Amino acid sequence: MKGKILKKTLRKVLSLAGNLLRAKSVEYIYVELRELENVFTLIVLGSFIGLPSPPTTISLRLLPYMAREIIISTSVSSRLSDMLAEMAGLFEVT
Amino acid sequence: MSRRSFKVVFFMGKGGVGKTTCAAAFALGMSIRKRTLVVSLDPAHNLGDVFGMRLSDEPKRITDNLYAIEVDFEKMISKHLKSLTDKVKDIYGYLRVLNLDRYIDVLRHSPGIEEYATLDKMMEILKSNTKSGKYDVIVFDTPPTGLTLRIMALPSISAIWVEKLMKLREAILDRRRIIEEVTGEKIKAVVKGKEFEMPSDKEEDPIYKELIRMKKEIDFINSIIKDPKVSTIVLVVNPEVLPIFEAKRALEFLSKLGMNVRYVIVNKVFAISETTSLPKELITKLSREREALQLINNYFKDQVVIKIPLLYEEPKGLDKLTTFSRYLSKLINDAVV
Repeated sequence: MKGKILKKTLRKVLSLAGNLLRAKSVEYIYVELRELENVFTLIVLGSFIGLPSPPTTISLRLLPYMAREIIISTSVSSRLSDMLAEMAGLFEVT
Repeated sequence: MSRRSFKVVFFMGKGGVGKTTCAAAFALGMSIRKRTLVVSLDPAHNLGDVFGMRLSDEPKRITDNLYAIEVDFEKMISKHLKSLTDKVKDIYGYLRVLNLDRYIDVLRHSPGIEEYATLDKMMEILKSNTKSGKYDVIVFDTPPTGLTLRIMALPSISAIWVEKLMKLREAILDRRRIIEEVTGEKIKAVVKGKEFEMPSDKEEDPIYKELIRMKKEIDFINSIIKDPKVSTIVLVVNPEVLPIFEAKRALEFLSKLGMNVRYVIVNKVFAISETTSLPKELITKLSREREALQLINNYFKDQVVIKIPLLYEEPKGLDKLTTFSRYLSKLINDAVV
């Protein structure tokens, strides 16, 4: 009986550790992905903030599909002052 | 019908040099042997005036084999913007994005819209003829040089942007796929309280698919305007220094884009040999004309130069245009082959 409980607990712990490691391993890729999506938005819709941009029609044709990218850019811009702290956290610099 | 089985001829030049007259006379001359469509892309149309007929956005029959269009710019820009805003409405319907029509008027003033809408119209005509094979020759009477060059450059510039954006998008989709493979599930995003699965495949990503659609359109237009077997560019100048300088710059610009200018028409040449009895002003004018013609010989060595004399009457109406088209027989014969 005790062995069964121990086995179950051990399985849970291992699964949790596995998930944790998986989450940790993609943490950097998540940040990279978010930044790439942010760069994509800046390039496509940069004309709205005065950056050089593709011909207007390219921007307008992509605009309808970019809801999520715009949200990411907005959230990134609102946390710009805190980006250094976020990077420090990511690389475990204390 | 393959797109190579019809020809496209562009008439370009500074405003007022006689592009429309040359384009109309050429189209009329061509129509004796080939089914021809002549399209005015100049916002300040006068193709209808030259033919002496009222033209519209739909092909109007001029002779048995000749049809003409004056592109309606207001309609063209509205149509171009409507297709964009309809798409926005379709996708953002759930977000209750209403009254988008209010913004159409603002968008029509966006820089570059006029050029892109003109290119769109050109593409529509060329695509439709690729499918139907209705015309053997399509003649474009273009706006003055500056705007035309921007229109002609647009496919090349767009190609660079689309290519870069596709690479960036591929990098994004790659990262999404890696995350999916590790976590075993799709990345989810919440937009206005609604959860979405983020696509990681090129086939599923609407942005990538739109970029592919744009690339196909750009490749199509480039394959026509850059193919010397399909497209011919004719520069029209007057024997005056400024239009010649402008034509030279246009020639250099078009060469950089990979487009060949094969003909230069020098329109309204005085061609008077006996000058002794002429007034002083006219003698000066003739001397300047000789200098201008010398410049043409120097600048356009690789092009066929066609000289058309200044006529006593304006070549308006079918009869006079038919007479005028005889000066363009070299161009017409080459295009027929």
